[in-house]
Amino acid sequence: MKINAFDNFDFHIRKRIIYFIIAAAFSVITLKLFIMQIIQHEAYDVKSADNSIKGVIETPLRGVFYDRNLSLIVDNKPSYTIILTPAEYNRSNDAIIETVLDIPEGAIEKLLKENSASPRYIPIRVKRDADFKTIMWLEENRNILKGVSYAVEMQREYPAKVLGSHMFGYIKEISKKQFEKEKDFYTLGDYVGASGLEKKYEKYLRGIKGVNYFLYDAHRRVIGPYKESKEDIPSVKGYDIVLTIDAEAQRVAEERLKGLKGSLVAIDPKTGEILAFVSSPEFDLTVLSTVTSREAWQMMSADINKPLFNRASQSPNPPGSTFKILAAIAALEERVITPTTTFNCYGGYTYGDRTFACHGAHGSVNIERAIEKSCNTFFYQLIFKIGLDKWHDYAKRFGFGKKTDADIEEEIAGLVPNTDYYDRKFGKGLWPKGLLVSLGIGQGELSVTQLQLAQFAALVANNGKSIKPHFARGYIDFETDKLVPFKFEEIDVKINPETFNIVKKAMYLVVNGAGTASSIRTPDINIAGKTGTSQNPHGEDHALFICFAPYEDPQIAVSVLVENVGFGSRHAAPIARDVILAYLKDKVKNPVLKDLTTMKESALDKEIEKN
Amino acid sequence: MIKKLKRIDYQLEDRFDITMFLCVILLTVIGLLAIYSSTLNHPTASANFYKQLAFALISIGVFFGVYFLPHRAFYSMSTPFYIISIIFLIAVLFFGKVVYGAKSWINLGFTGFQPSEFAKIGAILMLAYYLSKPRVEINSFYGLAGALALIMLPISLILLEPDMGTAIVFVSVAMGIIFWKGISLFGLFVVLSPMIISFSSIFGTFVFIAALTLVVAALLFFRKDLFLSASIFVMNLASGFFFEFVYRALSPHQQKRILAFLDPSSDPLGSGYNTIQAKVAIGSGGFFGKGFLSGNQTQLRYIPEQWTDFIYCVIGEEFGFIGSVITLVIFLILFIRVLKIAAYMKEKDEFSGIIAAGIFFLLFIHFLINVGMTVGVVPVIGLPLPFVSYGGSSLIANYFLIGIAANIYKNRKQYA
Repeated sequence: MKINAFDNFDFHIRKRIIYFIIAAAFSVITLKLFIMQIIQHEAYDVKSADNSIKGVIETPLRGVFYDRNLSLIVDNKPSYTIILTPAEYNRSNDAIIETVLDIPEGAIEKLLKENSASPRYIPIRVKRDADFKTIMWLEENRNILKGVSYAVEMQREYPAKVLGSHMFGYIKEISKKQFEKEKDFYTLGDYVGASGLEKKYEKYLRGIKGVNYFLYDAHRRVIGPYKESKEDIPSVKGYDIVLTIDAEAQRVAEERLKGLKGSLVAIDPKTGEILAFVSSPEFDLTVLSTVTSREAWQMMSADINKPLFNRASQSPNPPGSTFKILAAIAALEERVITPTTTFNCYGGYTYGDRTFACHGAHGSVNIERAIEKSCNTFFYQLIFKIGLDKWHDYAKRFGFGKKTDADIEEEIAGLVPNTDYYDRKFGKGLWPKGLLVSLGIGQGELSVTQLQLAQFAALVANNGKSIKPHFARGYIDFETDKLVPFKFEEIDVKINPETFNIVKKAMYLVVNGAGTASSIRTPDINIAGKTGTSQNPHGEDHALFICFAPYEDPQIAVSVLVENVGFGSRHAAPIARDVILAYLKDKVKNPVLKDLTTMKESALDKEIEKN
Repeated sequence: MIKKLKRIDYQLEDRFDITMFLCVILLTVIGLLAIYSSTLNHPTASANFYKQLAFALISIGVFFGVYFLPHRAFYSMSTPFYIISIIFLIAVLFFGKVVYGAKSWINLGFTGFQPSEFAKIGAILMLAYYLSKPRVEINSFYGLAGALALIMLPISLILLEPDMGTAIVFVSVAMGIIFWKGISLFGLFVVLSPMIISFSSIFGTFVFIAALTLVVAALLFFRKDLFLSASIFVMNLASGFFFEFVYRALSPHQQKRILAFLDPSSDPLGSGYNTIQAKVAIGSGGFFGKGFLSGNQTQLRYIPEQWTDFIYCVIGEEFGFIGSVITLVIFLILFIRVLKIAAYMKEKDEFSGIIAAGIFFLLFIHFLINVGMTVGVVPVIGLPLPFVSYGGSSLIANYFLIGIAANIYKNRKQYA
C-alpha cells in the first residue's frame, strides 16, 4: 500500500482527534444528564412516583342525619364485608362458602359472571354485614380459602327506631351508568344514595375522598407507607344533615300505620318543614344495600303490598271530601256564595237524569255546616257556581296538579282536570257536565298525593302563607359547628284571611262540634280537620283525614290516608291525632299525653282491629 | 526551604502518579457506595458490598505488585500472557458457566472469573509487542493484517461465548491502538468501512445503499488503482450481506436488544424496560439527587442487577446531577492522565506508549458504552463501568492495567 501525503497525518493531529472525541463524548453525556436531570426532571419524577407509589383511596365517612331536635336518626356503623378476588379464588370452595355465608347456592358463580368484565384482581363483595363468627371461620381457614377475605366497611344504621324507608332512601353500589357520568369522583364499587334523601343530598353526605400512599416494589408488592404517610391526603367526612323530621312524631306515625297500607305526611305550617313522612308498609333499607340487592329488589317488587312504592308522594288518589275545603275557599273567594248562603239537602242531588246521593239529609246548610257535616249536596252544586276552570285555578294555587318540589325525587304531580283536559279527552264540548258533580266532592278523575294534601292543610292553617315542604333544614359545617341552612321558596296563595277564618272555623267544628271527626276530640289540643273518603276501583274506600293543630295557633298540619278501610273519620283521623299529640306533647303541658304508649292501645285501635 | 519542599514534592510526583491513583480510588469508593445502596436488604445480593470491598483490597495489592515490577517485565510477559489468555478463552467454551446467555465464566469453586477480562490485558500487551517491533509497518498490508489477525483470534473466541459487549471492546481497543500507531486515513477507511456498512444494513435497504454510495465516494476521493478500489467495494458489499446474515442468525433476544435501542418504547416490558427505568432513575434524581439510600427506583429494585451494568443510575438517582457530573469529571481526569503517559512515551518507547494508549482506549470504551447506555445514547450492551460496577474479575483486571500505567509512569525517565 502506497501512502499518499494527504491520507497520512501527524501524531499530534491524531492526539487532537482523540482529545476531541473525549471532549465530544463528555459533552454529549453531560448535556444528556442536564436535559434529563434538570430540564425534564419533573416528568421523570412523576414517572418514578407512578412506578413505585400507589395511592389507595380512603373512603370518607358518610354524613349522618339528625332530626329536628338534633338526635341521631341515621348513623353509620362498621360492619364486615366478605370480599373475593377472582384472580386468586379457587372455585372448588363455592359450596362451603355459600353454606357458611348463608347465601343462595350458585350465588358466587353468578357474582363472578356478573363481574367477568372487570379486571380479575379487583375484589368483589360477596356479603355485607357478616357476623363475627363468619369472620373467625375465615381467619381459621385462611390458607384454604385463598382469594376470600373481609373488609370493614361502614353501613347505615337507624338508631332512633325510626324506619323512614321511603324518606331516607337506600344506598347501593354505584351503577355503571352513573359511574360513567361522574368518573371524576366515583370509582366502581362505591356506595351512593339511590333514593330519597340519601340520593338528594348525596353531594353533601359523601364527603371528600382521601388517598393513602404506599410504596410498591418492582414486583407490585407493598413495602410500606410512603414517607411515613406524611403525604397522605386524609379523607374529609361528609356533611351531617339536620332534618326537619321529628323522630318522635315519625315513630308514632310509623307505629300507627304498621300493618296497614297508607301514608301520612305532617308539616309545620309556618315553615313548610316536614315533621313526619310515612309510607306503609315500610321496607328494610339495609337489605337493599346488601350484595344480593337484586334478589331483594325483585322480591319486594313482587310483593302485592308494594312496599317499595312511596305512597306518600307517588300514589295518586282522589282526595274525597277533604277537597271540599278547596271548593269552599274558591267559592268564598270568588264571592259566588257568602257565609250565609244556604243550599237544601234532601239526601241527594239530581243533575240531568242522575241523582247523586248525600250520606244524610242535612236540610238547609250554609258553608260552615256543609263542611262540618261533609254535605255532598252542598258541594255538588257549589262547583257549578265556581266553574270548572276557576276551581282548577284555585287547586293549582294550593299546589295540586303539580309536584311540590320537596327535596326527594320520588314524587308525582297528580291531576286536577279543567276544561282543556276534558276537551282533549272527549273532544271540544263533547263531555257531560255531570263530571263536575264528582269533582265537587273530590272524586272522579281528580288525583292528589298526601304530600300535596299536607301542604294544602298547612297553607290553610297558616292563612295561605308557608314555605315549600322540605325535609332538610341544612347541613352542619363541622369547622364552625354551625348549621348552614338550605333555602326553600316561600309560598303565598294570596287569599283573603277572612275566607280562611270561615273555613278553619268549619274545620274546627268537624272535630269539636257535631262533625264527622268528633270522635278524636281531645281536651288538651284543639284539632281542626276534615275527613275524606276516596273511592277506588280496587276494593274498599280509602280513608282520608287532613287537619292542623292547635286551632288557635297551628303548629302541625297532617294528612293521612289509609287504604281500603272505609270512612276517614274512623280510621284515618285517630292516627293524625296521635301524631299531633306526639309532636305537641312538650308544648302542651299535660302529663297524660307524655306517655304515648297508652295511645297505642286506645279504644279506637281496637275498633280498627274489629273491622 | 521552599526549594527543598518543592523538590520533595516533585520527587513524589515523579515516581508515582498520585492523581491517577486517587481517581481510581475515588471511583472505587463511589462504586462501593452505589453497590451498598443498591444491594441493601437485597435477598440474594446483600453480601456484594463486602465482596466488592474484598476485591478492592486485592485489586490495590495487584496494583502495587504490578507497579513495582521491573519495567521490561511487560515486554517479556506479553507473548505468554496472550497465549495463556487464549487458552483460557478456549477452555471457557468447554468448561464455562453460562451467565446471562453467555458462556463467559470459569468456576474456581470459591469464586468465578471471566477469562475475557484478562484476555483484554493479554491482547493489549500482544498488540503493543507486535506493533512496537521495528520491522512492522502498520500501513503495509502484512503489518495491518498481522495486527488484525492477533486481535481477531480472541474476538472470534469471545463471539463464540457469545459475548457481544466484550467483542465490541476488543474491536474498539484494536482500532484505537492502530489509529494511535499511525495508520493512514485510507487504511483506517479500509478497516472501518465494512463495519459501518454492516451496521447500516440493520436500518434497511435505503440506508444500506446510502452507506455504499458514501464508500464509493470515499474510494473516488482516495484515487487508488481500480483493482484495489473494486476489491474494497466488493469487500464492503459482502460484509453488509454477511452482517445481514449474522443478524438473522442472532437469537431473538439479541435482535430485540438492537431494536429496543432504536425505539425503547417498542418493548417497554422487555429489553427496553431497563433503558426506560434507568432513564427514569437518573431523571428523577434531579439536581441534588434523592439522597444516599433514598432513591426509590434503586431501593425498590426497578432495575434488575443494578449493581453491575446499571450502577451509574444509582449515582444519578441518589446523588443527582452533581454526583453524576463529579463522577464524570473523575473519569475525565483519569483518562487525560493515562493519555498523557501514552503521549509522553510515544517517542520514547513505542511498546509502553501503545500499552498506555490501549489502557486508555479500553477504559474509555467501557465508560462510553456503559454511561452512554445508562443515559440512553448508545444501545444496551452489557459492559461494566470500570472501577465502579460490581465484579471482581473486572476490578482486578482494571487495577492491573492502571498498575501497568503507573509502572510506565514510574520508569518513563529510563528511556532516552
